[in-house]
Amino acid sequence: MTASVQTEANLEALRKEFRAWLEANAPHGWREACTQQDAFGDTQRNWYRKLVAAGYATPHWPQGWPGGGRSLAEQKVIYEEIARADAPRLILYFVSTYHAASTLLEWGTPEQQAKYLPRILEGEVWCQGFSEPNAGSDLAAVSTRAERRGDKYVVNGQKIWSTMAQYADRCLLLTRTDSGGAKQAGLTFLLLDMKAKGVEARPINQITGDEEFAEVFLDDVEIPVEDRLGGEGEGWAVAQSTLSSERGLTLLELSERLRGGLWRLATAIQKQGRSKDQGLLRDFGKLSTKVEACCALADQFLQKRIAGQEQVGDASFIKLHYARTLRDFVGLGVRVSGLEGQYFAPLTYGGGQETGNWMVDFMNSYNWSIAGGSDEVQRNIIAERVLGMPREPKGWQL
Amino acid sequence: MSLDRAELQDSARRMFGEAGLAPDRRQIWSLIAEMGWLGLAAPEELGGLGQGRDALGVLYLELGRVLAPGPVIPALLAVEAVSRSELLADRAAWIARLVAGEVVTGSLKGGAVEIRVADTGGYVVSGQLSAAPDADEAGHLLAWSADGDFCALIPLQQANVVIEPRPTWDASRRLFDVVFRGAQLGGELVLARGDAAADLVRDLQEHLMLALAADGVGGANAALEMTVEYLQTRKQFGRPLAMFQALKHRCADLKTQIVAAEALFWSVAEDRHGGAQDPLLRAAAAKSYAAQVFHAVSEEAIQLHGGIGLTAEHPCHLFLKRALLNEALAVGGDAWDAAIGAEALERLGRAG
Repeated sequence: MTASVQTEANLEALRKEFRAWLEANAPHGWREACTQQDAFGDTQRNWYRKLVAAGYATPHWPQGWPGGGRSLAEQKVIYEEIARADAPRLILYFVSTYHAASTLLEWGTPEQQAKYLPRILEGEVWCQGFSEPNAGSDLAAVSTRAERRGDKYVVNGQKIWSTMAQYADRCLLLTRTDSGGAKQAGLTFLLLDMKAKGVEARPINQITGDEEFAEVFLDDVEIPVEDRLGGEGEGWAVAQSTLSSERGLTLLELSERLRGGLWRLATAIQKQGRSKDQGLLRDFGKLSTKVEACCALADQFLQKRIAGQEQVGDASFIKLHYARTLRDFVGLGVRVSGLEGQYFAPLTYGGGQETGNWMVDFMNSYNWSIAGGSDEVQRNIIAERVLGMPREPKGWQL
Repeated sequence: MSLDRAELQDSARRMFGEAGLAPDRRQIWSLIAEMGWLGLAAPEELGGLGQGRDALGVLYLELGRVLAPGPVIPALLAVEAVSRSELLADRAAWIARLVAGEVVTGSLKGGAVEIRVADTGGYVVSGQLSAAPDADEAGHLLAWSADGDFCALIPLQQANVVIEPRPTWDASRRLFDVVFRGAQLGGELVLARGDAAADLVRDLQEHLMLALAADGVGGANAALEMTVEYLQTRKQFGRPLAMFQALKHRCADLKTQIVAAEALFWSVAEDRHGGAQDPLLRAAAAKSYAAQVFHAVSEEAIQLHGGIGLTAEHPCHLFLKRALLNEALAVGGDAWDAAIGAEALERLGRAG
């Protein structure tokens, strides 16, 4: 049982303490600086180091690990305050502190945990090697081959959409060790050293000009057997833990940031001299209601989680609603900014979803409707697993 | 005493379920009265059950699910107004009458009347209110003055009151216009005056918004459930319609909207996230959003049912009609959405 007692008073004390810490420590001027890509990495590294040192980087880790043992309610306070301070989201460390850590905690041997978790706190960047050119929404179709040779696996293949892989030290790699039988059955989960021979990460140039994702090419890459998570053929189950590691909780922070970012839209409307435009006020009112609903949904999700009453589909509802609301939000920004908004303005690397650079924000909003299980996948989950509608028949072959 | 929300929901759903969709109005009204649910939110010292808005929320959601007729919303508004009155002499007796099912109506449109002091003592009421359910069977009408100075129970059985039926497309509500042509109001029926009246009226408007929000969420859930069930049963091209992804995705989107509207409703009803937004506007937002979602779901329900959804014998149209009526009640969504936008702009904008 965690030492922290969940009274309102304790949460408020944490809020006060963390807010004061943020005032002294949160980076300033990073939005301006991060129009240069070099500044992005430095900003992330410095900010992460500070949070780790103060014990605020890994509140979701279990008791006993540095910074860990915080309740969900406490985590929420920390998210809210980081959003309120307009400090950067730790996108460079997101996979390492969430996906890698929770997968290691669930599937790692004590040796693997003791080896890798401290490195994450020291600043190792991890990426996720799941998607492939022919395995996107249909993840189990992964075809990157891992062949067992003695105490090593030899891996060949290609991964895509690996977030920040060009910065990464290590990769959560989903491979195929067996092609016979059900496609889920032949998968194996490996931990890849990104500096190993035969690994090449090539950033993908996005429509915004940003490079948040990379392709990873694997050519006869050797991975020691001791860097396998779970057994051979258990990769699908391990990958499920990775995917559910932050199920829905990120949306808490993002919903708060959405609410916190409404001022940018309000200010844009005022600057255009349209504060009395009834049609626009109506659209802005509807949007702010949708944002409130998003926060209410995130809050309800958290309460259900705390009470152990989370249900199938809950995370899909919030992700889908968030993605639609975000698109409405940034779409209204583009509309309000008119021709002015069409003139090129450099993006802020790591600036988040609602920066007020509306064209960039609009293009970035696809991150939430495509990545992490597209809107369409979420709709399937809701239709089939919540509403009980039947799956489509299989059988169509290429 | 504490009443478990889940228990209340269970018993309401069971009872209303037995009565069926769009039940007989007299039957449902006496059911509600027998259960004592009209006294849910009245304080215990006045003979009520002492529950909060969340319990009322459960009741409104369940009433919405079955498209319940009757004057439940104005009745519960009247219970709140009487409970909080500092002027009414016999509050407990009034609560007892209301809980037993004596009909008090009020405007679901949320309008106001003019109340002034009469030369002969007492007060005189003039003006017109619309969308008062079952006014022809009501002894009194809960109303407030446009200047916010009065809140009162106005007797309807008098010569200077004209009650005119206004049949609506939505047959689940029997709505009336009530015209006051210098109607008499005795001082003993004034519930609040001055600042107390202004506070009370504001809370009653909030209550009305929340009631309609819950009604919409409940109705939307029932309409979607009915639609999914139909898609499961109906077969075309050799398989159930529910198997077609094009239809599944539409249902999933509708369900997501309902879940979001429901979360917003509860966050307002339970007064969480109070935050910076004005409470009345928050309630208006919950109502406006729920009404939009109910509209979207009931509109799609007919489309997804195909031809059968256009027949009078199928209940699809009952949902659509109630949904579109709800959008128009308690001041239409457009005006409130603009007010919500204007307030947010004022509060958040940094260039004003």
